[in-house]
Amino acid sequence: MRIKEWIFVLAIAGLGMMTANFIGFDVAFLDSLPGVLVLLGIALCAAGLSAVIPLKLPTVAYCSILGLLCACPISPISGFVIEAAGKINFTAPLTMVGAFAGMSISNQLKSFLKQGWKLIVITILVMTGTFFGSLCIAQVVLQLTSAI
Amino acid sequence: MKKAGYAYPSLFARIGGEWKLYLLAFIFILIADSIGQIKIPVWKGTFIIFPIFYALFLGILTGPNTLKILDHQKVKAASGLVGVAILPFVAKLGINAGANLSVVISAGPALLLQEFGNLGTILLAMPVALLLGLKREAVGATHSINRETNLALMQDMFGADSPEAQGSLSVYIVGGMVGTIYFGFMASMAAATGVFHPYALGMASGVGAGILMSSAVAALSEVLPAYADEIAALASASETISGIDGIYMAIFIGIPLCNWLYRKLEPTLGRITKAGRRGVQQAERK
Repeated sequence: MRIKEWIFVLAIAGLGMMTANFIGFDVAFLDSLPGVLVLLGIALCAAGLSAVIPLKLPTVAYCSILGLLCACPISPISGFVIEAAGKINFTAPLTMVGAFAGMSISNQLKSFLKQGWKLIVITILVMTGTFFGSLCIAQVVLQLTSAI
Repeated sequence: MKKAGYAYPSLFARIGGEWKLYLLAFIFILIADSIGQIKIPVWKGTFIIFPIFYALFLGILTGPNTLKILDHQKVKAASGLVGVAILPFVAKLGINAGANLSVVISAGPALLLQEFGNLGTILLAMPVALLLGLKREAVGATHSINRETNLALMQDMFGADSPEAQGSLSVYIVGGMVGTIYFGFMASMAAATGVFHPYALGMASGVGAGILMSSAVAALSEVLPAYADEIAALASASETISGIDGIYMAIFIGIPLCNWLYRKLEPTLGRITKAGRRGVQQAERK
């Protein structure tokens, strides 16, 4: 994607976020704006980094690391960043993600219906195992290291 | 580096190709966020339906299999847009992690070690897959959570037509359809047991699949509001680590472990049930 395209599509995502934040949580567009700009700015920098740095890291990894750096205690702008992002409700950015994700798998509906109950059972177990495996290790290690 | 292969000749070509997708997304946001959350008490926990689920469902309905508003080309474009639209959310989680950096650091050892827990899928799902009669498909289906990178990996390692890649594809498709809803539900049920600390629940949510993690974190922050920030921070940290290590985890541990377990278990578990024996006969006929 060209940088112009990134900016445009991110702006669409920003508008979607503000719309969801307004309809779902009654936060006015202007109140959401600083937070949206912060999040979009970080996302854009992450896209730039992932294009420039020849490491094969996913863009989302750059994005969350950048977010962390902007908000960590040594960042001079952490107060502003945290407050601005705090105005964006947690699930507000997600509705648009869901919409696109639904569209992107809409051509798999037929093959999904053909999979049958066995694969549904297996998929449920795959997810459950992935989650609970981590959960149990996390719980034990947190206790052993007295982090909780 | 990536000079070749722009999806569109210009920004205007992109807008021309994708405006319908944007418009639909805004309509879905209007509908989904107007409905808002619905909470259904289940056992000691809550099954929470979020706007993202309605949007996902509406999105599925637009496709070539149903309402035919979108053709295959637009479906492909939508999958690119998911990757962009999720970035602001990931940035928000990163900010959460930065704001709660001390929690993330104090949980450091647990954060790193719980990554190996993502292999729990193999121990839980592989034996059942064999009982249900899957053969080599079971290796692909159960080696990981089977999102995009894993699917590509299986196709690369075993070939796109291989049973391993087919198994992976099946779980990828089913996971796309039911995963978002199930993952959030499962996380809130795990919280309802009262056995697990919110920190552990938070970091377990990061499995290397953004939309699954979002669903779990959204559900957990509803049922454990006092810990919402820490849950999001730890989920973000764990998700970032999983996003980086996931593929190596699959190559160096997941798939070898699957192969080993398959060799050990298939001759017994894979032949107890009728479905399992039928699978053996089919394999022999080929």
